[in-house]
Amino acid sequence: MRQTINRFVAGLVVATMSLPLMAQNDLKLDTLQQVVITGTGTQHLLSDVPVHTEVISEKTLKQFGASSVEELLGGLSASFAFNEGDMGSQMQMNGLGNNYILILVDGRRLHGDVGGENDLSLIDPQNIDHIEIVKGAASALYGSDAIAGVINIITKKHDEGIGLENATRVGSYGDIRQHNTLAFATGLLRSQTNFQLQHSDGWQNTATEYTPSSATPVTDSRSKTVNRHTNWQVRQLFTLDLRPDIEMYLGGSIYGKGIYRPKGKYPKYDVKTYDLTYRNASAETGGKWTTKRGDIVTLDIDWARHAYYHSFTSTTLAEGFDNQGRLILDYPYFAGQRTLQSDQQRTMAHLKAVVALPYGQRLTAGAEWRHDYLKAPTSLTSKTVTDNTQALYLQDEWNKGLLNLTAGLRLNHNDGFGWKLTPKLSAMISMGDFRLRTSWSQGFKTPTLKELNYRYIREMNSIIMYLGNPDLKAQASNYYSLSGEWTYRGLNVTATLYYNKVSDMITLVTVPHDEAPAEYRQQYGEMLGKVRRYQNMEDARTCGIDLSLKYTHGPLSAGLSYSYLDTDAHVYDADHDRLSRVVIDGSAYHKATWYASWQHRFSKAYQFGTGIYGRMSSKRYYQIDGDGRHYQTWRLTTTHDIGRSRHVSYRIEAGIDNIFNYADRTPHGLHLGTTTPGRTVYATLQIKFQKGKKIKLNNTFNSNQTKDYEED
Amino acid sequence: MKKIKFLLVAMMAMMVAGGFTACSDDDDDNVVSNMERYQNQVEQTVRAQKKHNKAILLVAFGSTWQQAYDAFDKTHDEYAKAFPGYDVYLSFSSAICINRAAAGENTAKRNFYEPKYWLEAFGRVQYQEIIVQSMQVIPGEEFSRVVNAMKDFGNNVNGDLDDNYMKKFEFDEEGNPGENVLKLGMPLMYTEENARTLAVALNNNFKQYAQQGAMLFMGHGNPDSYDTYKANVRYTQLEEALQTINPNYFVGTVDMMDNFKVQVRDRMVEAGLTAGKVFCAPLMSIAGDHAHNDMAGDDDAWDEEEGFEVNDEGEVEDTSWKMYFSHLGYEIPARAYTDQGEGALVKGLLEYDNIRALYMNHTREAEVVDYYHSMYPEE
Repeated sequence: MRQTINRFVAGLVVATMSLPLMAQNDLKLDTLQQVVITGTGTQHLLSDVPVHTEVISEKTLKQFGASSVEELLGGLSASFAFNEGDMGSQMQMNGLGNNYILILVDGRRLHGDVGGENDLSLIDPQNIDHIEIVKGAASALYGSDAIAGVINIITKKHDEGIGLENATRVGSYGDIRQHNTLAFATGLLRSQTNFQLQHSDGWQNTATEYTPSSATPVTDSRSKTVNRHTNWQVRQLFTLDLRPDIEMYLGGSIYGKGIYRPKGKYPKYDVKTYDLTYRNASAETGGKWTTKRGDIVTLDIDWARHAYYHSFTSTTLAEGFDNQGRLILDYPYFAGQRTLQSDQQRTMAHLKAVVALPYGQRLTAGAEWRHDYLKAPTSLTSKTVTDNTQALYLQDEWNKGLLNLTAGLRLNHNDGFGWKLTPKLSAMISMGDFRLRTSWSQGFKTPTLKELNYRYIREMNSIIMYLGNPDLKAQASNYYSLSGEWTYRGLNVTATLYYNKVSDMITLVTVPHDEAPAEYRQQYGEMLGKVRRYQNMEDARTCGIDLSLKYTHGPLSAGLSYSYLDTDAHVYDADHDRLSRVVIDGSAYHKATWYASWQHRFSKAYQFGTGIYGRMSSKRYYQIDGDGRHYQTWRLTTTHDIGRSRHVSYRIEAGIDNIFNYADRTPHGLHLGTTTPGRTVYATLQIKFQKGKKIKLNNTFNSNQTKDYEED
Repeated sequence: MKKIKFLLVAMMAMMVAGGFTACSDDDDDNVVSNMERYQNQVEQTVRAQKKHNKAILLVAFGSTWQQAYDAFDKTHDEYAKAFPGYDVYLSFSSAICINRAAAGENTAKRNFYEPKYWLEAFGRVQYQEIIVQSMQVIPGEEFSRVVNAMKDFGNNVNGDLDDNYMKKFEFDEEGNPGENVLKLGMPLMYTEENARTLAVALNNNFKQYAQQGAMLFMGHGNPDSYDTYKANVRYTQLEEALQTINPNYFVGTVDMMDNFKVQVRDRMVEAGLTAGKVFCAPLMSIAGDHAHNDMAGDDDAWDEEEGFEVNDEGEVEDTSWKMYFSHLGYEIPARAYTDQGEGALVKGLLEYDNIRALYMNHTREAEVVDYYHSMYPEE
């Protein structure tokens, strides 16, 4: 009996557990020797990766000292733009919004959105090892959403005895960040517990509201540019090396977030009767089996939940169910109560194998199953909806001399849109210090359950009603890119030309008021400013050029990243039977970031580092509520590694962001170029304790080409 | 082996923990009590304010504009003066307006409960005479909601009002009203005669503008798809009545089919008004979003090459009346398109003494409602 149980347990463990992205590497001497995974799903050195990949290295992250993922992506790559708002950060990558960006954390999809925006606070900036960015469509490998690109955030992994880490950061506007790690590693079992807390009091760039010219101006509003918010998270990960060739993992997390909104004296502008509350949870398990040949099989299963609530701060009549269970729009709630707006849950299972084939080939094959569930009692006529997707994919990498060819194909089946085939083709030619990469890939995005079914009201200056559209088609894209990279001594220059055409792009389009359900029209009356519905646009394209220049010489390094973007989008205007041109909200022609940093060890007990960083964006265009102003900001950071006893190390980071105190003071209700509050300062104290032997992980990167097929 | 067991236990523990987290956030605990608790709050408000046995309930859609609150407050105070034997209450039918008015900080909190809650509370404290005064301009869609709230009260839909008290509202067999009365004060232009009376009052307030150029009124109107009680005709009748006084008067709407700003302009051209000054004033009880944005706002869809684009319904969207007439060659006196000071015309009807007086006349003429044999369609 006991033996049977043992076998069962062992079988279960082998079948379900591994660690998909635990790759640490010993070769991180400089950026180009970074091991990357995102472009092909297989490990490559950055210098030789066949799909152009940008890396934000651990060293850069440390020197930059970002308080959030938004800050570090926006500050270190010209391709990104952010607008922090009530409903999460509105992120853009080369002109396309968060909807089209696949965000992975250790290879796993970040889950949950509000208004299509992911909550990036789910990622603890202090816990990031490095970030890999692959621009362009990658649906052949990753499935839905990978249209603008993929951001893979690789978290830190502890592999030495006992590790304790605490980082406390304080900054302007009540900015407090806590990061704690407790980790231990024995011969077989590793455990890592993380806790993070992020808080900001928020800020107000202007007290002026946008008012029509006929109205008395409002100049003492209490509306904030960014609201006060607090979030916390606990993560736990167990990893077990069951046998030298089998690794398993089991993990989970819980997360909570509150956004607190002011209550001023102008009912029209700055009086809010509820705050926003989020509750997330996740659980994941899986396994990785490395055969004697070096082939790899992984299975990953994960479940994630993202729930969003309105937490009432005063008596509020809102959507709810009366005594007979009928949906009414004036159900009373009292201060302290909260009501569920949406609960998104996703379960995924992913089986993948990477196998070496003769003639320098490497085959990746995988199968994926995904189940989505949305509960939104007051915003869905059926209260809950579900969606299922299944996929099979294949990818072959072929190395022949100077040439590397990668071809991939994915077959998807979805409840809503049926079958879809998504190919990808990329090639790299290496000639000494020069790499030429080109790719054609398709992307797609399944309409989300919210886009299909959800209807809700958002209170801004006026009321906007959003309507789902069950007739939406999947969005599809074709991405073409040509990229050249030249590396000479400490200099690395890349230039990428891209063209991304998205067909059936889903966007919100303003529709006549009588499209809104009658009860909403009656309830909101003249306050119903706009009715907007998700609709497939006829087509949209983005094209542009990304330039990057990096130079390292001894302790000095400098870099420049520039992005030129041109967008063109059309929407079918049924009233006039023609296509009309619309802008892609938030797009800007020119964006750039630049930096210079220097590090020096003054003594055994003290190492100093400093960096200066800049970013700029030209005007950002929007369909309604004005354009966002151009801006430029500068940042100065310092790092101080002080002393180092055998087990304990101390580090202080301090800096000034937005040195020249630029703030966009456009009135509330209109778009801003950037939400920065002006000059801010910060300081971080990090204490690290580490004791014990470094564990040799079996997935350490091996650059031997014939064995270069490990995957995460 | 022990490690495997430990791992298995840990895995189960984590799944269970995850499951609890997933299921613990339930928000459906207070379904019954919340509505009752809210009703009790309204009842307490009424008990605190009750001085007489007669009540007047003024029912408006509501607003979040300070200017509108001032107009409502003024109306309330004037009513209290004009109807000394009555307790006067203000009611909004818009939930969001009620929410915002009750929640601000550093400002007077106002409780404009919905009519159904006020009426239920009136029943609980047993007012003997209740006059519900509609603050609407036409007997349209919003007015129908006022009537429905009265019918619900009359039918004791919550079932918790005193039977003896409710019985006194009933008509006897000969059709005579009972001891208690529930009356309905009609909207400003309930009848065509009302429209003619209103025309005279408006002319008193706006004649100096009509003498200088076109004087336009912007009403709301029922949309074509549901022209409740066919009430849109009152705007046409008002324009006819006004034009007999001065042909420079026009009455358009934001929602009534074939009477948008585009058709107003067509009628102006027919009347030979192709240039000159254009004044606009809202034909609405208060100056809110429609007055500030749709009439006097800055939205402008004018295209330098193609001009304005008229949609299928014959309206130019995303363009205020001010910008529309401005682009079509009319003079827009800036002073008139503001909401404060001398010559400001962005004002609601309730800001004018003589219009408030017309509403009060309707209150005095309020009729007893026979809610059992209603002339109005069922909810």
